[in-house]
Amino acid sequence: MQNILLFSILGLASGAIIATIAIGVVLSWRGSGTINIAAGAVVMVAGYIFWCLRTGYFAPALMMVPAVLLTLVLMALLAVVVEVVAVKPLRTASPLARLVASIGVLLLFQAAVQLVFGTAPVDSPAVLSAEVVEVVGVTVPIAHFILAGVVVVLALALSMLYRFTRFGLATRAASENERSAILAGLSPDSLSLANSVIAYVVAGLVGVLAASVVGVSASTLPLLIVPALAAALLANFTSFGIACAAGLAIGIGESLLFYASTQSWFPTQDGFALPGMQQVAEFFLIVIALWWRGSSLPQRGETAGRSLPPVPRQERLVRRAAPVVLACAVALVVLPSDFRQAVTTGLVATVLCLSFVVIMGYVGQLSVVQLALAGLGAFTVSRLGTEFGIGFPLGPIIAIALATVLGVAIGAAALRVRGITLVVVTLAAAIAIEQFVFANARWGGGQTGAPVESPTLFGVNLGADASFPGLNGTLPSPLFGLLALVGTVVLYAFVANLRRGDLGRRMLAVRSNERAAAAVGVNVRAVKIVAFGIASALAGTAGVMYAYNYSTVSAGSYGIAIALTLVASVYVLGVTLVQGAVLAGFGAIGAVVPLILQKWVLPQDQISIWVQLIIGVGLLVQLKLFPDGLLVGMELKKERRAEHKAQSEPSVVSPRVEEGVPA
Amino acid sequence: MIQPVLDARGISVHYGGVTALDEVDIAVGPGQVVGLIGPNGAGKTTFIDALTGFVRHEGTVRLDGVDLKRKRPHARVQAGLGRTWQAVDLFDDLSVAENIAVAAHRPTLVSTLRELLGATLPQSAAVASSLEALDIAHLAEARPRELAEGQRKLVGIARSLAAAPKVLCLDEPAAGLDTDESAVLGQQLRRLADDGQSMLLIDHDISFVFGTCDHVVVLEFGKVIAAGLPGDVKNDPRVIAAYLGTAAASISGERS
Repeated sequence: MQNILLFSILGLASGAIIATIAIGVVLSWRGSGTINIAAGAVVMVAGYIFWCLRTGYFAPALMMVPAVLLTLVLMALLAVVVEVVAVKPLRTASPLARLVASIGVLLLFQAAVQLVFGTAPVDSPAVLSAEVVEVVGVTVPIAHFILAGVVVVLALALSMLYRFTRFGLATRAASENERSAILAGLSPDSLSLANSVIAYVVAGLVGVLAASVVGVSASTLPLLIVPALAAALLANFTSFGIACAAGLAIGIGESLLFYASTQSWFPTQDGFALPGMQQVAEFFLIVIALWWRGSSLPQRGETAGRSLPPVPRQERLVRRAAPVVLACAVALVVLPSDFRQAVTTGLVATVLCLSFVVIMGYVGQLSVVQLALAGLGAFTVSRLGTEFGIGFPLGPIIAIALATVLGVAIGAAALRVRGITLVVVTLAAAIAIEQFVFANARWGGGQTGAPVESPTLFGVNLGADASFPGLNGTLPSPLFGLLALVGTVVLYAFVANLRRGDLGRRMLAVRSNERAAAAVGVNVRAVKIVAFGIASALAGTAGVMYAYNYSTVSAGSYGIAIALTLVASVYVLGVTLVQGAVLAGFGAIGAVVPLILQKWVLPQDQISIWVQLIIGVGLLVQLKLFPDGLLVGMELKKERRAEHKAQSEPSVVSPRVEEGVPA
Repeated sequence: MIQPVLDARGISVHYGGVTALDEVDIAVGPGQVVGLIGPNGAGKTTFIDALTGFVRHEGTVRLDGVDLKRKRPHARVQAGLGRTWQAVDLFDDLSVAENIAVAAHRPTLVSTLRELLGATLPQSAAVASSLEALDIAHLAEARPRELAEGQRKLVGIARSLAAAPKVLCLDEPAAGLDTDESAVLGQQLRRLADDGQSMLLIDHDISFVFGTCDHVVVLEFGKVIAAGLPGDVKNDPRVIAAYLGTAAASISGERS
C-alpha cells in the first residue's frame, strides 16, 4: 500500500510534464487549429537551453534566477521564430500541410539538439528544493509536489485567462469561426502568435523546473507527446483543466504500471517484465478516448478554401519511369558494393513510401504507423526462418499478411476520426509496436539484430549473398537488387493505376468530402479499411524486402524519428504522386542520397541525425514555396498552363446552359 | 392512390431539446415530383438529412416497401434514395465524368479484387446517359473548379442520377441560378419526371416549385401545415399567412 502511494507520488513528475505538453497541444489547437506534434520537443529545448545557461556551455554560467528568466525570454523568442517560419506562412494551406510543418519543427529541434549536445541525456542542475518530506510513512522529494502544483496553477490561470479576458474570448471566437472573427476585426495571426508564445513560455517554465527531476533527453522528451495527446483528446482539445488532470493521472498510472512490473504476477519473459506495456496502454487509452470523444471532436471552424494537396492526373508514366528503371538496373550491376546496396535500399524505401501515397495522398488520412508495420514484417520473416524453419516464399507471405491484419485493425480502431487526427492513433500505435515488439528480447532483434536467411527458390539463392556478384566481384549480389527493382516497378504501377480506377475514384471522393461521398453510395468506412489494408500490405512488403536486403533486422531502423522523417519527406516531395514516393525513397536513410552526403559532404557518423535535420529544414523552406509538395506544385503549374492554352482555343466548357434557354 | 415509391411516416428529429421535425409524413409516387417548401428554419433540409440517414431520426422510411431505418447513408443510396446538397460538393480532384462514375459504379468484393489485380473495369453507361439527361455531355472532361455555379448544380444532379435512384431528393437545386437557368432546370426536371423519375424537391424559388411539382407539402416549425396540388396549396389561407405572406400577392399576380 505504501509502495502504491510512493509510486503515485513519483509519477507526479512525469505526469506534470505530460500535463504541460497536453496544455501546449490544447493551446496550439485553440490558437492555430493544428495538432502540434512538436509540443514535447519544445519542453526538451527549454531543458537544454536552461542547462546551457546554468552550466556555462556557451557563455559564463548564470545564476539560477537569471538563467530561468533568460530561458523563458529565449523560449518566447523561439515561439515567434517558429510562428513566423512554420505557422504563419501556412495559414491558408491545408491542415495536413500545417501538421506536417509541426512534424518538421519536431525533427528540426530534435536533430539540432542531438547534433550539438549528443544523444545521451544531460543532468541539469536542480532548480527545485532537493528536500524530502514524509507522507503517510513514505519519504518523497518535495520537488514532485511543487512541480505538480505549478502545473495545476498554470492550468487554472490559463482557464481563467480564456474564460474571463477579452484575449481569451477572442481566441475562442476565432477557433469557433475564423471568418466571423476576421470580420469582427480580430487578427488570427496575432491570436495564433500570442497563444504560441504562451504555450512556449509555459512549456519552458515546466521544462526548466522538471529538468533536474526527470533529466533532459532529446530522445525521450519529444515522445511524451503521445501520452500528452491522449490527455488532450480526453480534454476535447479545449479544456485546460481536464488536460492537466488527465496528464497527471497518466503520469501516475505509468508510474504504477512500472511498480506493477516489479511484482510477481506481472507477465514476464525469460525472467524479465514484458517490455512496452506502458506504450501499449497509452495506445489503448488513445483508442478509448477517441471512441468516447471522437465524434464530438470539434472541427475547428475555418475560413473556406482549405483542402488537401490536389491529386494531379498521372500520365505518360511509362515514358517517365523507363529511364529511371534502366538507370537503376545498370547501377545495380556496375556500381561499387555500397552504392549497389544503397540503390536497393532506395527501391525498398520507395515501396514503403508508396504506402503513404495511398493512405495520405489518395485517402487524405495521415498515418505514421507504416514503418513500424514494415519492421513487424521484417522481424516476422526473421523469426519464421530461424525458429520455425519457414522460409521463402511462405514466410514473407505470412509476414505481409500479419502486417496487413495489424494495420487494418489499427485503421478500424481509428474509424471514428478522420484526416489529421488519425496521426494521434497511428503515432501511438507505432511507438507501441516499437516498444512492445522490437524491444522485446525474444521477438525483436536485441542489440545485435535478428538474422534473416536468404530467400531461395528451387535451390537457387535469390538473396543479397547469391553467388552472382557485382561487376567488381563483391557482394551484395545484383540479383536481389534486380528482383527488388522488378517488385518496386510492379507496385509502383499498381499504385499509379489505382488512381485511375474505380477504387481510386472512391478514395479521392472520400478524401474530398466524406458526406458527399456517402450521399452517392460510397461506403466510406469500407474504402478507408481497404486503403489501410493496401498501405499496410505495401509496408509489410517493404519490411520483408528490407530484411532480405540487409540479411539482418535491427530495431533501430524502424524507430519513430525515422518514420516521421519519411512521412515528412514524402509530403514535401509530393504525397499525391507516385513519383514523390520514388524521390523520398532514394532520400531515405541508407539509400543513395544520404550515402552520397555521408561519403563526400557530411561527417561520417550521425548521418541519420543530419538527414533528419536537412529534412526538417527542407520541409519548412519547402512548405513556403510549394505548400502542396514539390512535384505536386510543379505538376499543377503544368496543368494550369495547359488549361490556359486550351482556353485560348474554343473552350470545351462553354456555358451551354445559356444556349439552352428557350426562345 | 397507387403504392408510393417513398413512404416516410412520423419523421421526427430532435437537436438537443429542440424539435426540428415533428411527425412529418411525406409520400412520393412513381414519376411524381413532390415539392417541400416552408420558411427558413422550417426543417426542409433536416427532412432530407433524416430521409437519407445523415441525422438521427424517429419514424419509418420505406422505399418500395423496404424499411431503411437501420441503414447508414451510403446503404440508403444503394437502396435507391439519392440526394443532392444545397452547396454542391463535387469531388475536386476528379473530372466531371469521374465524379459521376463514382456514383454510377457499384463496387462488389469481386470487382474490387479484380481491380486490385490490375483489371480495368469498363465505364458504366449510366455516366454518359446521366450527362445527356441534363445536357452537359460537353462538360465530361472538365474539372469542377472550371465550372460555373449553374453547371456545378447540374453536375451534382447528374451525379445523383447516375446511381439510378428510385427517388431523388434535391436540396435547393435552383439556388444560385439566374431566372433563365432555373427555367431550364425546371424543364429538365420535368422531363426526367415524365420519364418516370420520382423526386422530392426543396427550393426557395416558389414559382419554380409550383411550376415543377405535382404535389406540394408546406412545413412550418417542423410540422406539415398544408399539402396538396400546387394550385390548392397556393390558395390555402394558412400557407399564405405562415409562409407566403406578402409574397402571395405577387405570385398570384404572376400566374393570372
